[in-house]
Amino acid sequence: MTQRSPVVSDAALRQGRVVYYEEHMAQVDRVLAEFLRRSGARSAYLIDKDGHLITKAGEAGDFHPDTISALVAGAFAATKEMARLLGEREFSALFHQGERDNIQLSLVGNRAILTVLFDDSTTLGMVRLYVSEAVSRLAGIFERAAAQPGREGAAQIDPSYGDSVQRTLDNLFK
Amino acid sequence: MVQINFARKEINCKLVYYGPGLSGKTTNLEMVHQRTPEQNKGELTSISTDGDRTLFFDFMPLDLGEIAGMKTKFHLYTVPGQVYYNSTRKLVLLGADGIIFVADSSRAKLAENLESLDNLRENLAEMGKDLSKFPLVLQWNKRDVADAMPVTELNERLNAFEAPSFEAVASRGEGVIQTLKELSARVLARISSTEQAGLAAPPVEERPAAVEPVEKPHAREAAVQAQVAPPPVGGFQIERNEVQSEPRRREPEPRTLPLPAQSRVASNPLEEMGVAACAGPSAAAASGQASLVAAPAQVATLERPRAAQARPAARAEARAPAHCHGVPPPAESYRREVRVISGRRHGAPMRTDSDRSLVVGLIFGVAVAAAAVFAYTRFFG
Ligand SMILES: Nc1nc2c(ncn2[C@@H]2O[C@H](COP(=O)(O)OP(=O)(O)OP(=O)(O)O)[C@@H](O)[C@H]2O)c(=O)[nH]1
Ligand SMILES: [Mg+2]
Repeated sequence: MTQRSPVVSDAALRQGRVVYYEEHMAQVDRVLAEFLRRSGARSAYLIDKDGHLITKAGEAGDFHPDTISALVAGAFAATKEMARLLGEREFSALFHQGERDNIQLSLVGNRAILTVLFDDSTTLGMVRLYVSEAVSRLAGIFERAAAQPGREGAAQIDPSYGDSVQRTLDNLFK
Repeated sequence: MVQINFARKEINCKLVYYGPGLSGKTTNLEMVHQRTPEQNKGELTSISTDGDRTLFFDFMPLDLGEIAGMKTKFHLYTVPGQVYYNSTRKLVLLGADGIIFVADSSRAKLAENLESLDNLRENLAEMGKDLSKFPLVLQWNKRDVADAMPVTELNERLNAFEAPSFEAVASRGEGVIQTLKELSARVLARISSTEQAGLAAPPVEERPAAVEPVEKPHAREAAVQAQVAPPPVGGFQIERNEVQSEPRRREPEPRTLPLPAQSRVASNPLEEMGVAACAGPSAAAASGQASLVAAPAQVATLERPRAAQARPAARAEARAPAHCHGVPPPAESYRREVRVISGRRHGAPMRTDSDRSLVVGLIFGVAVAAAAVFAYTRFFG
């Protein structure tokens, strides 16, 4: 355990935040919608590696999307660490098979996990076929977005945000 | 890492309860869950052992509502405190935006507190972060125990960074909300101050922004300087610096992951985790597939009205049934396969026994997490 390498690069972590803008998310949503239509999967969740939901498409389950996101990110993180111990760089996909429902998790670039829920109305083969296509398109969107220069005039957080925080917290836990 | 999602008009932050085993991290989260209004919370999900010890994490989404047009959400996690679980503890710590360190006030636990704090420092350092500059709040929990150390002494021994600290009796809900509010305010103040600071700038080290404490921390002025870090705002800030060096591979044949022999039978690491492990179906075992059966751990989801005081009952319901020894698996059990559909093996894997048991531990962790994901979608989906 002593000579282990950092789990994530310094640079990535020092960055401290990840920002998603509308124009890119609209492209992402289109890719997901098309993926669902062609693959016959029930729903797709694009999840940040930190466990935050980025966007979702398809049937809404009764479950809380934040909870599924946290669990998926946990499962993927554990797998990644396992891969490292086995000498793999990373497992880029995981498949969980249930009696009726299945879950396919695929890494998108370095940052996100595409989570697909599907049942026996389609097949793993179909899902995989279209997942790999969707993944490369999503990765393309992320790469192009990341390559864009600083964005003046882009969406900003309102300057009153900081002041409102305290009030919100006080109201919440009276 | 804070996620700012302008498309969904959301800000998501990850807050983590850290501290030695049994210091009261899970209890804190249960109390927060109990005290949060219905419309502001999701279920509390616990991945724990039969003995109610955290195995992977507890999780609860906390929705603050809209702040200045942005729906603001916290994801609250607790780590497993037991020394043995460091590999999973690190996974939970990844991407954290703020930490509440829950210390046990008992004098008998001083060494454990110190060890856990050291472990936190090391784990953060491994991720390129400096604890002294990280948003941190300390909680002196279990103020009700007979051998509780005086707060001044706790501060001397455990609070080198002069982080804000609060006394608490988590089991009675005292001090729990104050602690959380303090960290929340710190983390969020950072977001807005750095956002306002303007345009794209090179990544900088984490620095807490100055913020008035919600309540004055014990005998201590908020000693954090107003060092506002210029933000890496602008653009789609997705780990630009972490270039994907490996070319995308074409999808090869699905490969199965060979498991070390121990994983097919109850093995030491699993037993140390205090849970029953069971062998995979013999067919799958024979074919060499990584196939584990159902969750030996509990995946408990406390539903809203129940919350903390219902803990033993709620958890008992979700307790994994005994289906190991030929008992047919119940409806919620299922098989999982860990399939590698892409990825080339390089380097000689698993050189030592300790490596091997780690792998077994992690495979187990993955199985548990997978079980959690699944159980969750099956129960509610
Ligand atoms: N006396 C006393 N007991 C407490 C207090 N807070 C928690 N406990 C008890 O301490 C025990 C452990 O609490 P947990 O919240 O499960 O501890 P944990 O930190 O999550 O432990 P791990 O999951 O193993 O890391 C439980 O029996 C709690 O009821 C407190 O303020 N005072
Ligand atoms: Mg716990």
